[in-house]
Amino acid sequence: MTIDHKRINGPEETIPYELFQKLNTKSLTTQFNECSKDGIRKDKRKTDEHRKIFITTGVVSQAKGSSYIELGNTKVIVSVFDPREIPNRTDYSLKGEIDCEFKFAPFSCPKRKLQQQDSEEKHYSAIMKQALESAVCRHEFPNFQVDIYALVLHNGGSALSAAIIAAGLALSHAGVPMYDLITSVTLGLQNGEKLVDLTLEEETLCLSPIADSKSHGIVVLSLLSTHEQVSQFFQTGNLTLEDVVECTHLLTKACKDIVPLIQKTLAKHVVKNVKESI
Amino acid sequence: MAVEYKTLHPQKYYNYYLANNIRPDGREFDKYRPIVLNVNSVETADGSAICKIGQTTVICGIKAEFCRPKAETPNEGFIVPNLELPPLCSPKFKPGPPSDQAQVLSQLIADIIKNSNCVDLKDLCLHPDKLAWCLFIDFICLDFDGAIIDACIIALMGALKTVTLPTVDYDAALDNKLVNIEERHPLKIYSTPVSTTYIIFDDKYILTDPTVEEENLCSGLVTIVLNADEVCCVHKPGGTALNEGQLFDCIQKSKKRSKYINELIVSAVKALN
Amino acid sequence: MALCEAEKTFVLHGVEENFRIDGREREDYRPMELETSIVSHAFGSARLRLANTDVLVAVKIEVDIPFPEKPNEGKIEFFVDCSANATPDFEGRGGEDLAIELSNSLSTAYQSSRAFDLSKLCILKGRKCWKIYVDILLLECGGNLFDAVSLAVKAALWNAQLPLVKSVHVDGNNIEMDVSEELYDCQKLDIKNAPVMVTVCKIGDYCIVDPNQAEEKCSVGSIVVAVSGDRLSTVLQTGAGSLHPTTLVESMKLGHTVGQRLNQALWEALQQIPEDQDVGFLK
Repeated sequence: MTIDHKRINGPEETIPYELFQKLNTKSLTTQFNECSKDGIRKDKRKTDEHRKIFITTGVVSQAKGSSYIELGNTKVIVSVFDPREIPNRTDYSLKGEIDCEFKFAPFSCPKRKLQQQDSEEKHYSAIMKQALESAVCRHEFPNFQVDIYALVLHNGGSALSAAIIAAGLALSHAGVPMYDLITSVTLGLQNGEKLVDLTLEEETLCLSPIADSKSHGIVVLSLLSTHEQVSQFFQTGNLTLEDVVECTHLLTKACKDIVPLIQKTLAKHVVKNVKESI
Repeated sequence: MAVEYKTLHPQKYYNYYLANNIRPDGREFDKYRPIVLNVNSVETADGSAICKIGQTTVICGIKAEFCRPKAETPNEGFIVPNLELPPLCSPKFKPGPPSDQAQVLSQLIADIIKNSNCVDLKDLCLHPDKLAWCLFIDFICLDFDGAIIDACIIALMGALKTVTLPTVDYDAALDNKLVNIEERHPLKIYSTPVSTTYIIFDDKYILTDPTVEEENLCSGLVTIVLNADEVCCVHKPGGTALNEGQLFDCIQKSKKRSKYINELIVSAVKALN
Repeated sequence: MALCEAEKTFVLHGVEENFRIDGREREDYRPMELETSIVSHAFGSARLRLANTDVLVAVKIEVDIPFPEKPNEGKIEFFVDCSANATPDFEGRGGEDLAIELSNSLSTAYQSSRAFDLSKLCILKGRKCWKIYVDILLLECGGNLFDAVSLAVKAALWNAQLPLVKSVHVDGNNIEMDVSEELYDCQKLDIKNAPVMVTVCKIGDYCIVDPNQAEEKCSVGSIVVAVSGDRLSTVLQTGAGSLHPTTLVESMKLGHTVGQRLNQALWEALQQIPEDQDVGFLK
């Protein structure tokens, strides 16, 4: 282990205590059946039902735009800053750039995360960037870069989707010109069941195949709803083509379900601003 | 007009206000901003708290892991505090390794924990020389608006008081550990340090609980950490000198605040149960 | 590479007419060349040339300790090196983003145990496992990197020889492994279902596969489909630009069929390679 001289270091080797609990002897199949039975999930949701969403803007006073989202237990905070000149760039770029940084707080996951970005976080940053790039009018700020920082305070599943929704809202809060509102939903497949808006437990169960299940996997889709354009699509696991096609339809619908909520939050922000300026 | 004047001549702008014994945000010199404390909101952590002082927001999460005690202190566990000042919280910070400021503050927090004896490291030992707890205490600033250390210490105490550790059956001979996740017990906290930050403005005014704007313009800064009625730590990184009377005055003010914050933490933790 | 509007229109019309600038149809690949066992120090290696795209992949295998949360599984790690030889854009840290994107897409594509079974790499539960390092070097960029890289990786893994462990002794905390001394005593990895990626580019109203660099510049959006057997192991969008859900579904269908064909072609090509004369990890 390399020692980080800029932080306070603990002992060389530490092990999470969760590994030494009494072994869960239940097979993956029973675990999954506990999570979802006859179309009703552990938290009494239907398979295509979202968790309760709370979303608000203007939580970081020092940032140009910011937002905070709670998807059930998942809590993500996003802030957006004024455009700045693209660093280390010599040639002129006609379109502005978007730079995303996605980070899990060290205590946000069952396993402690390190302060440096790991490859999963880098991957999620890239997906976020891809999702937001087509939502922003990048020609409006040539040769400039907008920085977006997303921090997951508590990962209760679907953290990437939550970060994308919050980032879209934070961008509009910052007054960055955009084509459309962006929403995103995560869906999981296991044993023929399709679950919308995964919790962390469901997410883990969908990642590996259980006994004789036909297909398993996770799909994340981000949608620009007015233009009906998929700005980002990401699937992992092992699925048949028919499954993926069906997921795409389910997710497009699920993404549209959230749009009114985002519109309401933005409207609230505008009303508040108008009231303050009077 | 006022906004333009403020950006052009911030120092003069402040002086006009301060000459009339009031601060631009409407507070008197020795008034605090409202404090909000929310404990145990992050389930993945073993203890957590979010503290808001005015706009300043700090989240503190504690995660416990197993480790082996150091050979020189075989019956002590570890506490590893780290403060992150991510670019998320202010345009001042850039991505990359921790800034000097973050390093200084992390060390200050570590010193406060050590000096105040709020946690006895011996309580964290499970079996001498074999097994101990290591508490990773991570602070993340979510909104950087001054008096960050005050918010950190309140969040720290809130989080420490909600920490629960699972019971462990340890068989030293075989090095077998069995953890009972359901059966948890709280950590014993021996004291509650409270920190208060003051700034010296224009060499003559002393302002309590500064915002980031005030911190940027001030000529000196002092943080006083009290443990009940005893001074546990004074942090004064350079700047204008304070005379004995002024320092004593600040300590008196801190005493009053210490009581109030103690009550706040107790009521926040009580609300949880 | 920069294109003017007239050039872009030319490419676009070609795609519309199903007669692309290099004479191919929309679903055609450019010619490929595949070589295996060319890096003598590696456990397995392959070099793939797809028209102007040139990729070298080397596989190294080491003994490691499994992740505590997955005691039954080995490890696989992908590392992409964008050499500045490949294109001037990669000078300095220019290729870093692309390298991360490529290695991430590979690790997600290989994530499912249906695509690549890591449990076969476990030597002793919770104590010892094999770790496979897949190092990918981009020698030249001529468009369509994802496809070329995934094919080369699959070929290199096919070529890789896993040392045979004869016995494992456990003595308290010490573990001793007996590796067969016989040079030819090696296992092959099971890569039947290892994913093959197909990039589908949307140009104008049509989707094409295997875009060259000029075509990549004209694309309004593209997706990468990783096909494992007859299943999809990963689908991801690349580059800027968004797609209508119907287009997305259509491109996935196209990617799926082409991917299966490509996989079949690769499999047949690999079978033609004669059983090596001098196999062995101590070669």
